[in-house]
Amino acid sequence: MLSQTKSEINPFTIEIIKDSLMSIGDEMFYALARTSMSPIIYEVLDYACGLTNAKGKLISQGNGVASFIGMLSPMVESVLERYNDGKDLKDGDIIIINDPYVGGGSHLSDVGLVMPIFHKGELVAFSANKGHWTEVGGKDAGSFTTDSTEIYQEGLQLPGVKLFHEGNVNQAVVDIIESNVRFPDLSLGDMWAQVAALKTGAKRFIELCDKYGKDLVEASIEHLLDQGEQLARKELTKLPIGSFTAETYIEDNAGGPYKVQVKVTITDDAFICDFRGTHPQVSTPVNCSYYGLLASVRVMYLGVIRPTQNVNDGFFAPLKIITDERSIVSAERPAPVSMNFEGRICGAEAIWEALAPVTPDRLTAGHLMSVCSVVLTGNHQDSKDPFLIVEPSVGGWGAGQGMDGARGQFCMGPGETYNVPIEVAETRYGVMVDEYNFRCDGAGAGEYIGGSGVIRSYQALSDNQKLSVIFGRHKFAPWGMKDGESGSPNYVFIKKANGETDGPFGITARYPLNKGDVVQLVTATGGGYGNPYDRPAEKVAKDAKNGYITLEQAKETFGVMVHSETFEVQDLTFERKNRKSE
Amino acid sequence: MRIATDIGGTFTDLVYVNDKGEFGFAKAHTTPPHFEKGVINVIDQSGIDPKSIETFIHGSTVVINALTERKGVKTGLITTKGTRDLLEIARGNRPDLYNFRYQKPTPFVERYLRFEVEERLNYKGEVMTSLNEEQIKEALSFFKKEKVEAIAVSYLHSYVNPIHEQKTVELIQQLWPEVAVTASHEVTKEWREYERSSTTVFNSYVKPIAASYIDNLSIKLHEHSVNGNNYIMQSNGGTTTFEQAKQTPINMVESGPVAGIYGSAVLGEILGEENIIAFDIGGTTAKCSLISNGKVKITTDYYIEKSERTSGYPIKVPVVDIIEIGNGGGSIAWIDESGSLKVGPQSAGSTPGPVAYGKGGTEPTTTDANLVTGRLSKENFDYEVDLEKVKAAVDEKIAKPYDTTEEEAALGIIRIANSNMLNALKLISVRKGYDPSEFSLVAFGGGGAMHAPALAKELGVKKVIVPVASSVFSAWGMLMTDLRHDFIQTHIKRLKEVDLTSLNGEWEKLDSQAVSQFKEEGVEENRIMFSHLADMRYLGQEHTVKVPVPTGAWTRETLTEIIERFHHLHEQNYTFKLPDTPTEIVNLHVTAFGKVDKPVLQKLTATGRSLDAALKEKRNVYYEEEGWMETGIYSRDFLEPGMKVEGPAIVEERSSSTVLYPGQSLIVDDYGNLIVHTGVK
Repeated sequence: MLSQTKSEINPFTIEIIKDSLMSIGDEMFYALARTSMSPIIYEVLDYACGLTNAKGKLISQGNGVASFIGMLSPMVESVLERYNDGKDLKDGDIIIINDPYVGGGSHLSDVGLVMPIFHKGELVAFSANKGHWTEVGGKDAGSFTTDSTEIYQEGLQLPGVKLFHEGNVNQAVVDIIESNVRFPDLSLGDMWAQVAALKTGAKRFIELCDKYGKDLVEASIEHLLDQGEQLARKELTKLPIGSFTAETYIEDNAGGPYKVQVKVTITDDAFICDFRGTHPQVSTPVNCSYYGLLASVRVMYLGVIRPTQNVNDGFFAPLKIITDERSIVSAERPAPVSMNFEGRICGAEAIWEALAPVTPDRLTAGHLMSVCSVVLTGNHQDSKDPFLIVEPSVGGWGAGQGMDGARGQFCMGPGETYNVPIEVAETRYGVMVDEYNFRCDGAGAGEYIGGSGVIRSYQALSDNQKLSVIFGRHKFAPWGMKDGESGSPNYVFIKKANGETDGPFGITARYPLNKGDVVQLVTATGGGYGNPYDRPAEKVAKDAKNGYITLEQAKETFGVMVHSETFEVQDLTFERKNRKSE
Repeated sequence: MRIATDIGGTFTDLVYVNDKGEFGFAKAHTTPPHFEKGVINVIDQSGIDPKSIETFIHGSTVVINALTERKGVKTGLITTKGTRDLLEIARGNRPDLYNFRYQKPTPFVERYLRFEVEERLNYKGEVMTSLNEEQIKEALSFFKKEKVEAIAVSYLHSYVNPIHEQKTVELIQQLWPEVAVTASHEVTKEWREYERSSTTVFNSYVKPIAASYIDNLSIKLHEHSVNGNNYIMQSNGGTTTFEQAKQTPINMVESGPVAGIYGSAVLGEILGEENIIAFDIGGTTAKCSLISNGKVKITTDYYIEKSERTSGYPIKVPVVDIIEIGNGGGSIAWIDESGSLKVGPQSAGSTPGPVAYGKGGTEPTTTDANLVTGRLSKENFDYEVDLEKVKAAVDEKIAKPYDTTEEEAALGIIRIANSNMLNALKLISVRKGYDPSEFSLVAFGGGGAMHAPALAKELGVKKVIVPVASSVFSAWGMLMTDLRHDFIQTHIKRLKEVDLTSLNGEWEKLDSQAVSQFKEEGVEENRIMFSHLADMRYLGQEHTVKVPVPTGAWTRETLTEIIERFHHLHEQNYTFKLPDTPTEIVNLHVTAFGKVDKPVLQKLTATGRSLDAALKEKRNVYYEEEGWMETGIYSRDFLEPGMKVEGPAIVEERSSSTVLYPGQSLIVDDYGNLIVHTGVK
């Protein structure tokens, strides 16, 4: 056990307060999900809620999208900075902010709300949340632009202004939002749900202070943050010391691919990610700001550290990030950032690729990497109402030591995110889902096989639909590990009603679809782990029986001859039998 | 004579009530894997005449065990073309956010046993592609070859129109009558294909197991001259016949635990309490549920094996809305890697059990902590208790690391356990917008009464009710149940634009479905009672609020009233309402009861005994604020109506103890229930 904070305080009381703080984060999270108006929040859970201390240090957070873990505290810190170190914040204020280039920023669609919590007139904590709004205006529906050249095309910018002033709503801000977004009911509905969640968090925190006294609550928070830091440092000592490098690429239509390079240096007490040498910022929206990168790197760092506890700011003490100025992973105004997740997840994945060979107990081979986001707009064939799909896609994860890769799972950025059921999609949107199955292409072969990607096909049921997608990892397939084969890339393919086809491609903006046209959204199969010849023959036969691989692949790639009807192992190939063992 | 038997992990409980309204109970050991043996044993032990049993009600863990132990049968799945992998893609979520080696729950049907057939409906239920029966035949011959024993059929949009599923089932029954088959619309009519398929697969997977269990049990009962009406407890808080249970065994997934919740509602009705928090502490878990206006809440948002770190499997059947946490008497206290004291969810179970059992347990548990602080006495155990050993375990594992005394450490364990349970209790009450001071808490299970008075005070509840025989209260609850069926139909309509004729038609359809089901079960029509609920939301929202609605035909006025009610409930649950936003119905929910005659509770008579007659001993008990205090220990068997006990005090009974804190008191009511006044004003 770690060293205890010595004090006169009963250690069990501290634990009880700590538990209460944890459950406040959860309570805010569920309250928001259940009251949200838009699928991207209630179905995809693309948001986060949490509490920070008075200095903006994260205390507790409800689970949702993994990347958001790193955003709440920098967001509160930037609000503190903007409001004169917090001196200009009043009881009952709520700040609204979506600036991508300052603390907590990602892209304009992620709108943050911050509420200072006062106890007996003193600023004691913040409740904060950030949610992906379906709409914040801009040139494209869904505020989702795959071809913007500067931020001004991407939507309404909210630079940390007061939405509430001492408990009174600032109607001017609400009116501005209402007239700048395409589906004001959805966006404002979500905003009120966010406000309600913040108030719940604040109320619970004040109750806690009333019950135990502010000092004891603050002591518990300090204790909690200390514990987090100590845990992270302890875990750090289990990692190999040294410098590890990797290079990878952010893909783009207009130009690119753009190099991302990282040197990860692990010492006894630091985890340093140096991105210097990475491509400069570009005029397409795959850039991310430093704070966007920070959020994803934090997720990656936690994936390496593997916390068994709820995460707080203490965990991040050993983490340092270095970038050049104005690089594609540290972009500054007015660089477009609508698709920033492509840049920041790629940055994080570079760390993954650098460390996987030396931490095979923690990290797997490469996965689909891209959020594989899909935006489809049009009018419903029956109601004629406009509809808007904004959704990430599931795909294959890499195999790892002792395990096959996961099939059909969202990439590392989203986490506790849910796909949209076919029955829900067909009711709400003007589409028919012709297929939602695994892509069994046999890629990612290995002793452990990469997880299958997925094919999801939308058939347009009305004319004049428009499709925008960004499927990164289209040119580069997920990488294999320890002699495992690489997976297969993400792609999009169009089959038109008139028999024409288009694709495969990775990125498109406002591609027109008419009634009967089908778009196939195909995601990557993950990389394999280990030599395919080391996969036990019975497992290979079962893979063939399950249709994950063909009989041909069983023989050629895995060296196992499988009976075409009984799916029993018949023999091993000459090559497999006579392979020189290493 | 009406009897209920409830099979638990360790004990099989029996409670009976005779025609005079007199209750009695018995306990026998559970006898896996031949559970029916334990049932017969407990009947023998109770001393009742098997021939006098008119109604036999049974709660069983057979279904949940078959699922969690993966002991079901080999199952094949038939799905719509294009959706073969839907069961494995599931929802694609990864709750363990920072685990890049996360593994999704393994589907219960492997890919090669998932078969697609051509057929398609659109979202309105219109047939787009007709059913290809040839492909079903191919599937069947493949399944036969693979020695499949059960089949699940789940097609897209079958919740709107089950025609293709019905045809498929007919064909299967024609061609292969022996195989167990379930179509998705038979188990749930809610949208979301993955959740519906998962539920369907589970039903098929356990169907042969449940059928042979129920058949065995009824043979054994018959051999034992128990020839009354037999019923099974379902997860929705009502019972059904053995025959029906064999068709949809998945409805008994939470068979036992919900009975105590239902019993709390019944007890509340008898005592004139409409608002109840039911609270049950067993050996490994604590469960709670909120009953408002006498109504037990039902949800279909139920999962097995779900945790913060794994997504689990959804089961979309009506289940009493229970929060369950891994905190019971056997929960182990431990210090995590950051140095925090935790209690549970790991449990010492019944073997080795708490250190107190002397069966080899070395880890201190909540029960051990209760012993060290004097809340329990050595005499409460069936086993010889080595108190020094218990103290040593608490001292070694908890007190020393924190540099504190063994009694402080033991109290620490109790406080952390209470904190966990308090969070669960808050989750169902304050956090859903209910004021605990308007509720009474019914405490049962072996540990309920021990923790409830302190927890109730902390929560702000004024009154705790400890029922008679609180440790077998779940079985008591079963005795008081009616037959019950829930019918939930997804039917998405904006309220303002709703076509009343068609909506009323939908309600009637559901009602008549209930009537015909009850008829099959031999329930007369005048015994059937309905209650209607609508799952409603604001347009654009996903999650719904359950709104009680009238059972008669709706008019325009009804609509206005219902919308008003919805706004109110939404505000209560989520702190805000949106009066200008259109509202929408998602599901129609009909609950139908087949009312049965139930025993009337008899009042006890007081003999005029003095309280001192019930005083067993005085011993020291360690309290949070006061430290060690000399505390009177009373035997519940000698308490009688009207007696008042002042805290600090402990009332002991077989398998349970009620712990009163200083400033709390209790009164024995006319039925023998302990009514604790928690000290909350």
